Amino acid sequence: MTGSEAQETTGATMEAQCPLCTLAARVPHVVRAAVLVALAVLVAPVTNQLNPLGIPWLLPASGRPGIPRVYERRLPEVKAAKARDLLHQGDVVFLDSRDEKDYKLDHVPGAVNVPMRDWERAWPKMRDNLPRERTYLLYCYGAKCGLSTRQAKRMLGLGYTHLVILEHGWAEWTKAGYETVLHPKGQEKKP
Amino acid sequence: MKALSRLLTNRIFLRLLGLFLGGVLIWASLDKLRYPDRFADIVREYDMLPAGLVNAFALVMPWAEVVTGAALILGLWRRAAGLLSVALFAAFMVSIAQALLRGLEIECGCFDVSGMSASKAGWDLFARDAGLLLASALVWRRG
Repeated sequence: MTGSEAQETTGATMEAQCPLCTLAARVPHVVRAAVLVALAVLVAPVTNQLNPLGIPWLLPASGRPGIPRVYERRLPEVKAAKARDLLHQGDVVFLDSRDEKDYKLDHVPGAVNVPMRDWERAWPKMRDNLPRERTYLLYCYGAKCGLSTRQAKRMLGLGYTHLVILEHGWAEWTKAGYETVLHPKGQEKKP
Repeated sequence: MKALSRLLTNRIFLRLLGLFLGGVLIWASLDKLRYPDRFADIVREYDMLPAGLVNAFALVMPWAEVVTGAALILGLWRRAAGLLSVALFAAFMVSIAQALLRGLEIECGCFDVSGMSASKAGWDLFARDAGLLLASALVWRRG
């Protein structure tokens, strides 16, 4: 008896014993694959609810993905104008989460570079200069960049409590024409 | 050539291939399930989805890997799971390719999302996923 004949015989036996099995055997693979996806969709909310780092399911178009529910209020965003006020007040330490090469090209005056993509190497070198009681404003490249948020989440986990994210990051800062190391007086257009 | 053809239709070989793929998929899901927020960060950086859908995708995708992997390991609905595995690896390949072609320097988010040993999305990972896609296609078509 060949393999396929044996399968057919097994199938016939199953058909006789279990009509549901027969029905299931005839369901096309695409439908079964869709059932597996549906199963994933059903289970995901349960584990997300139980996970202390669970994230909100749906966000508005302007929402910030990747922020756990428990961190939502602890990671406020500020616009560039407010960030500039904070820079002038001098109470806030600016943290540049971008890569070192980009930081070296230009950055917000006084900003400290902790490149998130090189966190494991950069953080041990910097942490002693970053006391937990200070307030930190983190920025990265722009609206699509999640590096500053990721860095802020790491810092929350390490006991830092006063953290603020610059909305749309470096792109927004330079678009507004505010001061940078290359342009110490800024490039703001006069009204 | 004949020996290769025989190997590729060998039931034991296909079963082992299913076990291997299932293991890979479940292994890949673990860190994402533990840190959904970090996986969402990476999904966001791939810049393929509207911000409002990033979290939902980051929550469902690892479970799609788990159910596919479990089905492959247990041998239940293996061909359907093979098909889903093809779809998953194809999606990974498209995501990596578009990121590389657009010059995005991002983490792969393939296995490690906690940043301890994360690999950058590169053509080597694209090639690896292509191999896994071919293996999945074998399980789907002949499993």
